[in-house]
Amino acid sequence: METALSVDHLTKSFGGRKAVDDVSFALPEGAFLSVFGPNGAGKTTLLRMLATLSRPTEGTITLAGIDVKEEPERVREAIGLISHNPMLYPDLTAEENLLLYAKLYGVSDPQKRVIELLDAVGLKHRRLDRVRTFSRGMTQRVSIARALVNDPSVVLLDEPYSGLDPHAMHIFDELIASVREDRTFVMVSHDLDKGLALASHVLVLARGRVVHFGEKDQMSPDEFADLYRTTVGMGVS
Amino acid sequence: MERESEYRAADRGRMSGSCCKAPSTWTQYKTLLAKDLKAEFRTKDMIVSMGIYAFLVIVVFGVALSFARPGSEFLEVSGGLLWALVVFTSLLGLNRSFSKETENGCLEGLLLAPLDRGVIFLAKATSNLVFLALVEVIAVPLYWVFFSSFAAPADTGWLLVVPLVVGSIGIAGIGTMLSTITAATRGKDVMLALLFVPVIFPLLYACVSATTCALVGGDVFADGFFTSLALGAGYDVIMILASWVLYDFVVN
Amino acid sequence: MTDKKLKLPEVGQWPDKLVVPALIAGAVLSTVGFLMAFFYVAPVGGAAVNGAELIGDVMVSQKMLLSQKIFYFHMPVAITSFLALGFGCYYAVRFLMTKNQRFDTCSRICLEIALLFVVLTMITGEMWTRFEWGVWWSWEPRLTTYLILMLIVIAYFVLRSSVDEPERRATFAAVVAIIATIDVPICFMITRLIPSSIHPVVLREGGMSPEMGLCVGLCALGMLLVGFVLYRTRFNQVRLTQRVEALKETVDDER
Repeated sequence: METALSVDHLTKSFGGRKAVDDVSFALPEGAFLSVFGPNGAGKTTLLRMLATLSRPTEGTITLAGIDVKEEPERVREAIGLISHNPMLYPDLTAEENLLLYAKLYGVSDPQKRVIELLDAVGLKHRRLDRVRTFSRGMTQRVSIARALVNDPSVVLLDEPYSGLDPHAMHIFDELIASVREDRTFVMVSHDLDKGLALASHVLVLARGRVVHFGEKDQMSPDEFADLYRTTVGMGVS
Repeated sequence: MERESEYRAADRGRMSGSCCKAPSTWTQYKTLLAKDLKAEFRTKDMIVSMGIYAFLVIVVFGVALSFARPGSEFLEVSGGLLWALVVFTSLLGLNRSFSKETENGCLEGLLLAPLDRGVIFLAKATSNLVFLALVEVIAVPLYWVFFSSFAAPADTGWLLVVPLVVGSIGIAGIGTMLSTITAATRGKDVMLALLFVPVIFPLLYACVSATTCALVGGDVFADGFFTSLALGAGYDVIMILASWVLYDFVVN
Repeated sequence: MTDKKLKLPEVGQWPDKLVVPALIAGAVLSTVGFLMAFFYVAPVGGAAVNGAELIGDVMVSQKMLLSQKIFYFHMPVAITSFLALGFGCYYAVRFLMTKNQRFDTCSRICLEIALLFVVLTMITGEMWTRFEWGVWWSWEPRLTTYLILMLIVIAYFVLRSSVDEPERRATFAAVVAIIATIDVPICFMITRLIPSSIHPVVLREGGMSPEMGLCVGLCALGMLLVGFVLYRTRFNQVRLTQRVEALKETVDDER
């Protein structure tokens, strides 16, 4: 399988502190990577670098065959980000929000694409309502549609569950499963169960360094929980 | 699920992440500007609050001047008062304009799109200019209604429109840049005022001078109007260029 | 990668060798200049005042003033503050280009020095204004410019203290430092060039005699050296503190 995302000796530091320290891994196309780690382990910093929102101090990221440092503009065309922040304008309707992003990305038939996406997340009937009137779960569903508007090959998820009730979480999982196809996913979460359920690969970070990286099937959930406790718990206590 | 398969069928034609062609900068600029205008005209909260605030400032001026004797000396002060009105009102608007972008992390969404950061700046500055201009169209005539009893301006008085345009452009430009910075700080309202007032000072000085020249008329007009305007316009050009270049660093 | 080749200012580099000689030279030059101002240079006429003015209970229009001597202190301090701001801007640009925290530290210290000298300029300028023109404040171009400069530098430090994330703080601070450096000359130009028919400006005497020039030159050189010494000393202090902090963190990590 082809490599969708490779990270090579990635470091992000400011002053003396290293938020991400010499992280390397490679993901095949279609993989779902869950990144675990305690607060301040550098998970979000790593994701922000993948999303081109933050420049690496050292090392390289190659995403869909493009170097993130060299051509951030082209990488942006190939990624989508879903975070706990919906990134939607509350005073615009769901449709207007998606149209805005579709036009910015230069989608060939924005109107058609937006309707398709809203249909896919089950909100076609609410498309003319302002996002302000939506529940948290519905907003998050529009947010999924927003992230997919440019048909990204890599989708990044930054703590997507925060603020969602169990039912909304369930719908979210189903939606993510329905848009999997051959896209590559990277998810940052501190919910072990949720993260493991979807993952094909796992990455554990502690203080910016890689503690464990591998396919999920290599170990059972219990073994993994043990590993997580011993490696990550060590520094925390 | 049926709609799922429908979605997939529509999606099948995609080549890994290359469904779209990056649009022109001009298209992106128009899209962003239209977004700001649409969102504002739907709620009108920024324009309405700026308008009310401008009116209250006029009322305060009324109290401040209640013991002043009417006379032509008033013309030398009125230009400055008018600009005080513009500065206070625009400060209120600028504070609001960027908190809308940060509220839901929308700015991040824009940064993720393949668009030049300068475009975000120009679109935001333009929308701020539009809102400021709309408020001025109401507030400036109102100001004259309340203070016309003090003194009649010279024939050249209507030319104060020109310094208003020059000043508003500068305020919108540098103000957009500074409000982007302060939106991410603690105590952003005070922080914006603290940065905005000294930075805008030279422009303000030039605009007050030009406005006063227009109002007083005669020799004074010939002496100072065009020099002041030229200097104000020069400030606009330099500062907007600097903001445009530096904006990339501010939003990243 | 480029960071490796980058030459960063660090404690113990060549400028540190100059600190002691510069301190001695700066002290000597400033003292000599100061003494010269009183014993060598002849008193000059005070600024012309608009009409007669009451100064220290005496009506004057033009007089020989001893208070003019503060000029030999005032102008060198003003030059130093401006130069410090210039260097602050230079390091801010370097920071934005490299995103290396060291340049942020340098830029910040330059602005601290600038603030110190701007405040000194304001104080000396105030004294002079009071005794020469008989008013506490006049919206004269130079005074106005320095007031604006002082306000921006103060805003710079307030901004720094209201952003928590170090990288963002450094970026914002660098942008404001650059804006300030562009804004201040424009401010001077605009307040200077706009005709004063509306706004009478107190006249100041033009031209300096050669001995006055010499005296100002000596004082300016001395003050610049003092400024340099202050900068370098402060830089060493801040840098060493940062290194101790970094070491503490490493020790924490190892444990």
